[in-house]
Amino acid sequence: MKNKALNTVLNGILRENPVFALVLGMCPTLATTTSAINGMSMGLATTFVLICSNVVISLLKNLIPDKVRIPAFIVVIATFVTMVQLLMQAYLPAIYEVLGLFIPLIVVNCIVLGRAEAFAAKNTVGLSALDGLGMGIGFTLALTLIGAVRELLGTGCVFGLNLYSETYGMLIFVLAPGAFIVLGYLMALVQKLLKK
Amino acid sequence: MKQFIVSPAPHFHSGDSVRKNMLLVIIALLPAYAVSVWQFGWGALITTAISVAACVLFEWLIAKYILKQKSTIGDLSAVLTGLLLAFNLPSNLPWWIVIIGALVAIGVAKMSFGGLGQNIFNPALVGRVFLLISFPAQMTTWPVPQGFATSYVDAATGATPLAAMKVALTGSDSMMSAVPEMWDILIGKMGGSLGEVSALLLLAGGIFLIATRVITWHIPVSIMATVALFAAVTGWAGMLPESVATGEYVMLSLCTGGMMLGAWFMATDYVTSPMSNWGKIIFGVGIGVIVMVIRTWGAYPEGMSFAILIMNACAPLLNLIRPKRFGEKKKA
Amino acid sequence: MAKLQSSFKNMLLSLTLIALVAAAALAGVYMLTMAPIEAAKVAKQQSAIMQVLPEMEGMTIAEAEEVNGITLHKAYVGEEWIGTAVEATTEGNQNMPFGGTFRLMVGFNKVGDVVRYVVLEQAETPGLGALMSTWFCNPDKPKSNILGKNPATTNFSVSKDGGDVDAITASTITSRAFLEVVVKAYNGIAQQPMLIEAVSGATQVEAPAAPVAEGACPYGNDPATCPDCSEKHCQKKGGQQ
Repeated sequence: MKNKALNTVLNGILRENPVFALVLGMCPTLATTTSAINGMSMGLATTFVLICSNVVISLLKNLIPDKVRIPAFIVVIATFVTMVQLLMQAYLPAIYEVLGLFIPLIVVNCIVLGRAEAFAAKNTVGLSALDGLGMGIGFTLALTLIGAVRELLGTGCVFGLNLYSETYGMLIFVLAPGAFIVLGYLMALVQKLLKK
Repeated sequence: MKQFIVSPAPHFHSGDSVRKNMLLVIIALLPAYAVSVWQFGWGALITTAISVAACVLFEWLIAKYILKQKSTIGDLSAVLTGLLLAFNLPSNLPWWIVIIGALVAIGVAKMSFGGLGQNIFNPALVGRVFLLISFPAQMTTWPVPQGFATSYVDAATGATPLAAMKVALTGSDSMMSAVPEMWDILIGKMGGSLGEVSALLLLAGGIFLIATRVITWHIPVSIMATVALFAAVTGWAGMLPESVATGEYVMLSLCTGGMMLGAWFMATDYVTSPMSNWGKIIFGVGIGVIVMVIRTWGAYPEGMSFAILIMNACAPLLNLIRPKRFGEKKKA
Repeated sequence: MAKLQSSFKNMLLSLTLIALVAAAALAGVYMLTMAPIEAAKVAKQQSAIMQVLPEMEGMTIAEAEEVNGITLHKAYVGEEWIGTAVEATTEGNQNMPFGGTFRLMVGFNKVGDVVRYVVLEQAETPGLGALMSTWFCNPDKPKSNILGKNPATTNFSVSKDGGDVDAITASTITSRAFLEVVVKAYNGIAQQPMLIEAVSGATQVEAPAAPVAEGACPYGNDPATCPDCSEKHCQKKGGQQ
């Protein structure tokens, strides 16, 4: 049992990493990773929604008739996303300013609905929570990594810590095309390492 | 006894090879390059040397240590990429930016896709656009042509004719005085990237390529016809400032910026352009329209590289246009 | 517990129930966060105003006033007027920026010197025009620094056009638009009686005439009143289309 729990968490972080292996939730992945801190904030917000929605949905799984499960899941997810949005707006206005547009989009993030449908609706509450945690950590790590690489190459900083002069920063990495380039190479690298 | 070799047709070979074609393109570029060296002096030579050397080196390193395949530097395609990249850069660019450009051109645009023949986008243009977006200040500060005469450390910089024209188009007539005389444009006495300045000799190089059958006329001619038409319509529609005649604007559109270099040397790249003749014409018209739309309404004064890259992405789609199979019957 | 069948009654009940609980939960969170969100919004506006004004104890900001599309936030210490934070945009500029419009908050002290400025909104090219938020307030480059300078005594146009301010490298167009907005912001307070009084009281000079945006005709392109309308600048089409 303990082994299974550990596997569920690790699964989301490595083997079925939402970004590098499942390639889900690309919109926030590409759009919000302009810096490590932005990527991490987005990841953490999604993690919160993932865990909460997974728990609630696996609690309610027998109460929800099959034919209306998608609307029911969406209502649950949207509720948590709106909560995150309100809380961020109130207590972290600076980060909300940067991520603002993308927070409501967590609702339609494939990972959240995907895990609700593929995992939480079939497993126990405990395992679902762990699955949400694992997927969330995997998503957060991936976003933080992409954000860090883009920030480093684009501005010479990581988490705002200056590593080399900004003169040498390649601006393209802070802009949209840089997101695609970094994602592509990181995905290739992660796949190569996982195969070993 | 000699063994007979049994093989399917064709049995004759014209002696055409990648290496030979690349060499012809390089030869076609040389007259225009001579003008660049005459205009920009040592800066032009140094930038080109770094760019070519870095492209060849990166291709060799990546082929040997990452892809672990036979090196392809002998076919001169890396040399040509390096040369074309240098043609697209200002001659006073810091050396480390040139090297980053070469790494992106060869590493990202070419070798990541599997090397020559597999790249979707023109490598030299990817390198240039990467640098343009990454280092906009350095990439848009052009040295004023002054030959070998003065020191390059604090050479004066000036706007390109297109940048001046862009401002003129938005209503400030006075900037039009910064647009050089037609003759200066033709012989390359204007600010700009290394290889884009001599319209006349680039045109001569392009005609040489058609004469030696390295390229066909379809792409360059359709690009330039579209651009000329677009510019003329702009003039007739009264969008030009009063001091600019329509004919002058058509000539300026054709002869400034990356138009000549792009139309004759970059858009005609075999790997990234469509194969059929109609495909090539659509490809050329697309480039012509996009470049003029960017020049007229876009945020950048020049859009040749963006236009070619966008149409590069459409090339696989245009390759759906195929010649009829021999003997194939028309469907009723 | 067995899974509920997808009968109409069950579907209706379960969806209604879930929606009700969700609505209730959201209402709770909304009530909880309403006050902090309001506070954060006000704090943001206030901090932009405070950032551009001289630091003083017990400063109060008067109600915003709007003059010709420019918003003035006047600051007082007690009864004494000590400066103005002015919000202005590139709308109606002679010199349009490169990408869209941008909004600045410029602070002036009571004699009309620029104290500080904040870029509230912009869409200029990153690495070029977008550098304006740091370029014009860099103390290491006095030729491009506008802080502490007065539009009435310093020519706020780029050095290429004969002004006193160095433009952002390779972004002359953005720089022109930026400086015009600053001048426009200054014009917003130049007519204010307090400034005229403060300047004449403090320095015994005439109240500065409203400076003219660079390149524009000071007589509004009217050949009847403009003495040099034969010159090039007056033949220009007025304003942006």
